[in-house]
Amino acid sequence: MEPLSSLEELTQALRCLPSVGPKAAQRMALHLLQHDREGAQRLALALEAAARGVRHCQRCNTFTEDEICTLCRSSKRDATLLCVVETPADLMMVEHTQAYAGLYFVLMGRLSPLDGIGPKEIRLDRLLKRALDGAVREVVLATNFTNEGEATAHYIAELLAARKLKVTRLARGVPVGGELEYVDSGTLAQALRERRLLAN
Amino acid sequence: MKQARERREDQPAFVLHAHPYRETSLIVEALTADYGRVALVARGAKRPRSELRGVLQAFQPLTLSWAGAGEIKTLTRAEWRGGLPLVAGSALLCGFYLNELLLKMLPREDAHPQLFRDYQSTLSKLAAGAEQAPALRQFEVQLLAQLGYALPLTHEVDSGLPVDPGARYYYAFDRGPRTLASEPERRYPLVRGTTLLALAQQDFSAPDAAVEAKRLMREVLDHYLERRTIFSRRVVRDIQALDEIADEDDDS
Repeated sequence: MEPLSSLEELTQALRCLPSVGPKAAQRMALHLLQHDREGAQRLALALEAAARGVRHCQRCNTFTEDEICTLCRSSKRDATLLCVVETPADLMMVEHTQAYAGLYFVLMGRLSPLDGIGPKEIRLDRLLKRALDGAVREVVLATNFTNEGEATAHYIAELLAARKLKVTRLARGVPVGGELEYVDSGTLAQALRERRLLAN
Repeated sequence: MKQARERREDQPAFVLHAHPYRETSLIVEALTADYGRVALVARGAKRPRSELRGVLQAFQPLTLSWAGAGEIKTLTRAEWRGGLPLVAGSALLCGFYLNELLLKMLPREDAHPQLFRDYQSTLSKLAAGAEQAPALRQFEVQLLAQLGYALPLTHEVDSGLPVDPGARYYYAFDRGPRTLASEPERRYPLVRGTTLLALAQQDFSAPDAAVEAKRLMREVLDHYLERRTIFSRRVVRDIQALDEIADEDDDS
């Protein structure tokens, strides 16, 4: 079999991206070569640098190029709070709220036995070490409200609760601005079960 | 031979597992009451605003509609049926275990309406916070029975005599309890009569019955699983190990 031409190789390589099928990959490859050689060079260098330089923060496990990421090094953050999220994208969402001033731990996944992901795969041992560093007083569990995210939160809570740490979970219920008529029944059912006291 | 295109509406079902398919879709493995385990493509279910996103969760009663001719059908509608509290905490891991057993042991499109009811009632118990081990043992026995491997538990294979609670037996796979004398090769798990009867009656109050029943069922299931391993068991072990490691750190 003949080796792939550079164009074919590029098209194939682009297909590793999410949402990129054969057609889209071909379109991207042709666009770069036909209309934007400069962009193509830039992309190549950026990819090369990122793939080589980006690693996991020693403290929070998120992506960084340093030993310890800027967020973990910041003196403005509250080191007694540790928020556990599944992915760097989740970390960014929590940051976006501007409602949280503590530090993070990024699991890079969640417990999912049916996908072959257990505590070893998401490095729960590292989270335990991080949470028990002496400075952390409260761990905020912000894993997803899927069965896998819930199971992950449950076991982290079990592991930490025995060690004199306060463990909290994000609240769940009707969204801000939510009208009951349009909220899905599963959410509404759970909001009823987890209703809270306003006056006695 | 081309399979006829089928269309099913509003079938009671549970999602067992879903995995990504192409860019924005999911392949959902579901357990249905009347059509057994079916594989369905949920088109667009991974899109941010897809209504299916929150609905296609395991351990919640749903109604699913689908159409198609091949082994993998197309999901046309999914609705939340409700009536079951969310499975929470350590019961979630039991739930994953049930689903893994079903995915690995139940062939697709073999209807087992009774198994569906057994599964639903096991989930209800787990969701209600019932004791987990007896619920799991009962489901394991029910699952094997529905798959055609009903376990003889109350009578000896060779003599037909009732199992003696005080005696010990080799549990011969596919056959049943054999006395120590009739099984000179000792290839099978050794089990006490009380444990066999505990499994038959689903009453694990006798000392050590629960522990021994768990071990026996594990070996029996492994026999039928052949080489497929149940990952959920490893997850439970690893979490326990982690707890112990952390304890050691505490002590130091």
